Amino acid sequence: MSVQPLEILIVEDEVLLATELEYLLRELGCHTVGTAMNADEAVAMAEALNPDLALVDVHLEDGPTGVDAARRIKADCGGVVLFMTANVKRLPEDFAGACGVIGKPYSEHGVKTAIAFVDACLRKGSAPGLPPVGLQLSPAYAARWGLGDLARAG
Amino acid sequence: MNVGSGDQMTDFSQAISAADALASTRYAEGPFAAAIRDTRVAMIVTDVSLDDNPIIFANNAFLRLTGYTRDEVIGRNCRFLQGVDTDPIEQARLRAAIGAGQDIACELLNYRKDGSTFWNALYLSPVRDGAGTITHFFGSQLDISDKKRIEVQLNERQSDLEQLVALRTQELTKALAQKTALLHEVDHRVKNNLQLISSLLLLQNRRVTDLAVKGALRGMLERVGAIATVHRRLFQSDDVERFDVSAFVRDLVSDMMGGSGREDIRVRLDLERVDVAAAKAAPLALVISELFSNALRHAFPPGHGGEIFLGISRDDSEFRIEIADNGVGLAKPATSSGFGLTIVQLLCQQLKARNETSSADPGVRVVIHLPVNGAH
Repeated sequence: MSVQPLEILIVEDEVLLATELEYLLRELGCHTVGTAMNADEAVAMAEALNPDLALVDVHLEDGPTGVDAARRIKADCGGVVLFMTANVKRLPEDFAGACGVIGKPYSEHGVKTAIAFVDACLRKGSAPGLPPVGLQLSPAYAARWGLGDLARAG
Repeated sequence: MNVGSGDQMTDFSQAISAADALASTRYAEGPFAAAIRDTRVAMIVTDVSLDDNPIIFANNAFLRLTGYTRDEVIGRNCRFLQGVDTDPIEQARLRAAIGAGQDIACELLNYRKDGSTFWNALYLSPVRDGAGTITHFFGSQLDISDKKRIEVQLNERQSDLEQLVALRTQELTKALAQKTALLHEVDHRVKNNLQLISSLLLLQNRRVTDLAVKGALRGMLERVGAIATVHRRLFQSDDVERFDVSAFVRDLVSDMMGGSGREDIRVRLDLERVDVAAAKAAPLALVISELFSNALRHAFPPGHGGEIFLGISRDDSEFRIEIADNGVGLAKPATSSGFGLTIVQLLCQQLKARNETSSADPGVRVVIHLPVNGAH
């Protein structure tokens, strides 16, 4: 990746998934600033550490609080959130202010291409092309990054 | 005889005279007169020429029905049977028909002498003379109180039933919502657990250095990945019974090519939209994954790129899945060997599918024929 590694906060209550994700991110050249397991922890860490991107699962230690955590992170510290969840269909229409979602179960390749894509969007302010398979952008961010109606590929 | 307001002695005597006159005609004798006198159906005749169209004849059945004596009835207009609860609209309809000289059948709530009520099915028709002028009205009355009571009961029963149905529908809707929520919950757990399995394999793979072991773990990861890809797509459409094979193939190819690091291998797809039953999704996914992975790993030695073709089509009773490469070709005759190909053979048996491996000259072609069972 580019000069400054992307700083990422992982919000996931399954330890093994979080650990594997951390390895993946390192291979991508990103830096994990921390791991949170519930909504309050996630918001506190986001405020303290100011990550470039927060990867948030919907189901956390304290229940299905991931959506709420995402809203608060966006509102409190303007952090960009990317959902990682098995429940894509249950997300609200506005994605709670998040930029998109990666559906579980994801593949290594799927996660790597998705994060590389979001990284490029964040640095340039616009999308380098269509999102990769496995990544669905929210309508708001698709528009912001110049993709209009094409929020999803496949 | 005092019979309420509006009645004058003069009218009554006229009516009584008319009644007597009628009774003394030849029509008062003989079988027809007897029939009318004694029939069970209440009957009256009114005289239009007299003031207020009074009753000048009433048969015994009428007297029994209403509880009055003949003296109390002759000379009165038959509206004396009506009371407070009689429907004014029906009353108006009756008056209009009489005024227009028309037949009318109506149902009125009437009152007996003792104040009790009954439902009267009244049929009134004008009687005309030779010149066509109305001279009398003829009316028959039937007690339909029983019929009315049953009607009311039926209506009540109907609305009771409708209430019960509404309640039951509410219960069923709630149960369905609960079942759907449960289905989503289970689906979500399955996906998370598949993710967990993948993560475990990946974590293990990072620690292991032995190449053979790494290879074995990679193979397992791909198979788990194929099943995970199935589940990511399963239940995404409205029809939970069907699985879109072509969409799955695109996902699988993308993942496997992305992870392969082989820029020199192209993939060409020719996919018809084909749906199979959800139960066949995982076995079929594993077969396709196995064959594609085989081509990817064995057809093209490093530095020798090429193309893999994956085609899905349907003809009548079968699906045809072809995976072909233009690589090194079969080293030995096409017998099943190796763990991966054993899996393919077993799963094809399970799917009742035939598979044929042949030389594509160059390269290898594998074709699977899968029977359609009421599929898309």
